[in-house]
Amino acid sequence: MHFSRSLLFLLFTCLVSSSSLTIIIPGSNLLPNPHVLPATTHATLTTLPSAGKDHILTTSLTRSLTLVFRDLPSSPESYLLDIHSGADYVFAPYRVDVAADGSILGVWETFRGNPWDNRGAEKYVIDVACEPENDVVVEAKVVGQKSFYEERSKFSPMSLFKNPMILMAIFALGVTFGIPKLMENMDPEMRAEFEQHSRSSPITGATGNAMSGGGFDLAGWMAGTASSPVANADGARGSTTGREAGGPARRRA
Amino acid sequence: MRLQAALFLACVSPVAAIYSDEIDHVDFHHGLVGAPSPDSTFFLKPSSASNASLLYTLSDKLILGAVNPRDGTLVWRQNLSRSAGAPAREAGLLRGLDRNNAVVSAVGNYISSWSTHDGKLVWEDSFADGVVADLKLLGLEDESLSAGTRDTIALFRGEKGGVVRRLDGDSGNTMWAFKDDLGDIPFQVSTSANELFYISLQSALLKGYRIKVNTLNPSTGEQTSLQVLNSENEVTNPNSILFVGTNTASPFIIWTDKSHKSLKFNLLGTDKVKDIPIWNPSGERIQQLTIHAPQKLDSPSHFLVNFVTEKWGWAEVYHVNLKSKTVKKAFHLPYVSGQSIVATSEIDNRAYFTRFTDEGVFVISSASDRVLRSWRLPRPSPDRAFHTVSEVVKKGKAVAVRSAILHQSGDWEFIRNGQPQWTRHETLIDAVAAAWAETDDQEDLAHELEVEGHESLQGAYIHRVKRHLRDLQYLPDWLRGLPRRVLGSILSDEVTNLNSFGLSKLVIVATKNGLVHALDTGNHGAVSWSIQVSRTPDLDVKAILTRPGIADIHLGDGSSASLNVSTGHIIRRSVPIVGGIRAVASFEETGSSPATRGTVGVREDGSPVRPFKDSNGFLVTTSADGRVLGWMVQDNKSPVWEFVPPAGQRVISATARPVHDPVASIGKVLGDRSVLYKYLNPNLALVTAVNEKDHTASFHLLDGVSGKVLHAVTHTGVDPSQPIASAMSENWFAYSFWGDVTSETSAKGYQLVVSELFESPLANDRGPLDSAGNYTSLASSGTESLPLPHVVSQAFIIPEPISHMAVTQTRQGITVRQLLCTLPASNSIIGIPRHVLDPRRPVDRSATPAETEEGLFQYTPFLYFDGKWYLSHARDVAGIKDILSSPTLLESTSLVFAYGGDIYGTRATPSQAFDILGKGFSKLQLVLTVVALAVGVAILAPITRRKQVNTLWKAI
Repeated sequence: MHFSRSLLFLLFTCLVSSSSLTIIIPGSNLLPNPHVLPATTHATLTTLPSAGKDHILTTSLTRSLTLVFRDLPSSPESYLLDIHSGADYVFAPYRVDVAADGSILGVWETFRGNPWDNRGAEKYVIDVACEPENDVVVEAKVVGQKSFYEERSKFSPMSLFKNPMILMAIFALGVTFGIPKLMENMDPEMRAEFEQHSRSSPITGATGNAMSGGGFDLAGWMAGTASSPVANADGARGSTTGREAGGPARRRA
Repeated sequence: MRLQAALFLACVSPVAAIYSDEIDHVDFHHGLVGAPSPDSTFFLKPSSASNASLLYTLSDKLILGAVNPRDGTLVWRQNLSRSAGAPAREAGLLRGLDRNNAVVSAVGNYISSWSTHDGKLVWEDSFADGVVADLKLLGLEDESLSAGTRDTIALFRGEKGGVVRRLDGDSGNTMWAFKDDLGDIPFQVSTSANELFYISLQSALLKGYRIKVNTLNPSTGEQTSLQVLNSENEVTNPNSILFVGTNTASPFIIWTDKSHKSLKFNLLGTDKVKDIPIWNPSGERIQQLTIHAPQKLDSPSHFLVNFVTEKWGWAEVYHVNLKSKTVKKAFHLPYVSGQSIVATSEIDNRAYFTRFTDEGVFVISSASDRVLRSWRLPRPSPDRAFHTVSEVVKKGKAVAVRSAILHQSGDWEFIRNGQPQWTRHETLIDAVAAAWAETDDQEDLAHELEVEGHESLQGAYIHRVKRHLRDLQYLPDWLRGLPRRVLGSILSDEVTNLNSFGLSKLVIVATKNGLVHALDTGNHGAVSWSIQVSRTPDLDVKAILTRPGIADIHLGDGSSASLNVSTGHIIRRSVPIVGGIRAVASFEETGSSPATRGTVGVREDGSPVRPFKDSNGFLVTTSADGRVLGWMVQDNKSPVWEFVPPAGQRVISATARPVHDPVASIGKVLGDRSVLYKYLNPNLALVTAVNEKDHTASFHLLDGVSGKVLHAVTHTGVDPSQPIASAMSENWFAYSFWGDVTSETSAKGYQLVVSELFESPLANDRGPLDSAGNYTSLASSGTESLPLPHVVSQAFIIPEPISHMAVTQTRQGITVRQLLCTLPASNSIIGIPRHVLDPRRPVDRSATPAETEEGLFQYTPFLYFDGKWYLSHARDVAGIKDILSSPTLLESTSLVFAYGGDIYGTRATPSQAFDILGKGFSKLQLVLTVVALAVGVAILAPITRRKQVNTLWKAI
């Protein structure tokens, strides 16, 4: 008796035409805790209206993180399944095919902007050999999260020091203050040698002239009346300093 | 993979998104639910663990919402009208119970249970055999139930009679059903500690109804007893029954006769009816007679009867003796003039009544008439209170009370201990029309300058000197305010300082109940003033047109009211026009030296009600039967042209370019420095026509002067029942629709089509009108006729529907435009940058360097909505029906205001805020840099001077 009743029940469930579609939202890398989804999260099945049938079905997110479409209309349709969760999370669209008796023929991923027949990964497909399932369960797929906000660059003193202009200025400051200090600390012999070396370079020599306020006597040098800075350095070996060498030139000018 | 590619492409395009520290600073949002239904609004603790309660309501718009009593913000909401099918025309029901983690709602034949703390669905069900007449949560303790779950008792009104069902609290499954098919009118269900009562109304032989009380066993649904009360003399309709107690130790029923002479009282389950005479000293008609009783199993059996007449209000408290099953009057509350409303609250087995009168708030225990605490209200509001719910908290001996009062104007006010805390303007959910107000601050100056311009040189000079002398009177005030302004500009945010750039504007909003509000966009959308313009319950506002200082509200009957925009006072009213109007046209009038705007009503058949004087010389109207008509100046009898869509098609909308639509450049400079000239016709109209039978939608671009069709396109597989939105600006238009599979290669989804009009397909070519000095749209000869534009279109698949479109407007149109779209599926507003929607994007190949220079990039069929485009960012902006955009004095910024459900306002900066020093500009950094430089100079200057002196000395 008990056996026959359960058999009857089984038979009964097989005969029930309209079926339900349950979408589970699993936790994933992009959405570790699906409970953060807002209460407005909902799924829609959309297709073109035909013969006054409901062509847009909507269902809300349940406490147990499922979206359940009960009693799908009994007409052969191919629905686009969208899940909208506020504007935050992006879900992959699915294609849901329903048979004339309201049972689900298959659920596939679909690609927006592609021919409708171009189906993606198969989520569920009816098993022809067996009785059709009444409650089809598929998992939703989160493909991204939207970021709404522009990042504002924060002011920090460290960022100031990353600026090359500032770094150059600091280096120049260091040179201006550091070199004379270094010179003072050198022993006299070293200093004399260093000064000689710096004089041997034409640029430092010229700078030295400029520093002395005398200026490089270009006209005199070109006329051959003044010794060239190089020659000057050669000629004044060990006897005079640059300033003294520049001194007569200035007086001449 | 494809999606990722699209994502990547969308990410590389530069967009101006909102900064997270600008939220609530540049934008404001009123999340609305609608007017709360009196019997479906209550305080409830969301879970057994928490002590703080939320305010739950089901509104007249069938929106279920949980409001935080602290600040009046929405915690969550659900729109039940979407789930409830067609029969959901009547008010819904919402029930909650302390220690239950779900609230249960019923609308039509749809019952749903929602989690109290986050608003997620617990279960839902629809029943075919009737609509829900009553809903109760079983309060009784049951061992079988898990903690925090209570079962629902639902009463359905079917064709043959009532059906009572007990629904499981966790799954919504029917545990038992009690069918009553005797043809009685099912009225209510009620529960006591161990019994369930099903009350129905049985038609008496001659007139009236007898009240039938079926007592049911709550665990099996079997009928245990039946009482029929002889009430046919008093109960003439279900409204005569005032109250059925529920979830109390011993529920009772109270009804009254038509003339309010006496109250009839019956303890449910007994057959004794007690007669209580009504004391009415003034003899005025009792307008409102309400019973307030605690609804908890352990509350005392006390109840309060509140009487309200036109001028007076009083209340009486009765105690029920459960042993002797009798009722007696305990005490009465003062007889006061003005309003009197009462709310009940229960704590710790005691009941408290909170009474609001014009004098103040009074808290009374149900046991004695001693006033536990009272507060004076700041001022008696002219807006009468309609209904209130209260929550009393006891701290030692003192009591505190907080109440939410619904006013007749639709405002929902929250008062804590006599102090107003917040007000929600729920009536704004019914906004039907809105317009930007123009203030008249500059009008006086403009007038004065005009006077100067018309006078002689000396006269003008004297006038100007006088005016400047007059202006001197404002100098002391200005000087006094100067330090505050300087300090304020350094310390505060930029909002206060930008108001002078037109960022603080008033929006005039008219709602369905006849109220007109002014919202200040510079002050978070606060209501500056509201005024009742009409007493009609369903105000048909056709348009709000604004002039400097004045807003004209045009109503459907052809009348109009002019309001002062700064105070809201009605300046003038005009009389209705016979036959009413369909729309109002606004135009620039000819023949008036300062250009004034004229208006003319448009009748149902599309004809203007009177001859008009438009400086443009023409007017395009639509008629109720779906024709588009063109009219000439001074003629309102016969149209110049008529556009009738092809057979089977119906015109659903017509769009034109916005009134303020400046064009910064007449051409588009290509990568090779040649120019593609835009087809700029100010008289364009885009007409949308649909055919419901074969699912097609046609879009016709008309020339408004000649009525000539410049461009037409038909899409197949379109769902006309889904929103078809369109917008037009400059030389381009866009529309969206649901497009279905029509061939093997077609896609299914929402589509957005954008088309751009050029004078010629060739660069540096202006088409046949190149050398023409003038041209006319009306010329009919073959060669001279209006040249057709060269139309370039591209279609995109978009992830969700667009229900409404608009275009951002800026002062000079230099800033890139954004296509503003309302997304009803994700409750957001998005601004799609124009350059993404360029129909000249290269298809199936990557962009050449020249095209990249133009800002073009490769076309992808799927247009991903980037998060940065969302003007409403993470906000839930629901129910938007219209978006307004307004230019400001800043070229970079456009004000955006959306209404129709929620109210949302923001500032759009499509090309970033290039003319504003925003928050990213650190004033502190600037000051620190200047200080550091000054310090550096101060240190280095003496050193350099010493060094120079030293070198000079050494040189000598």
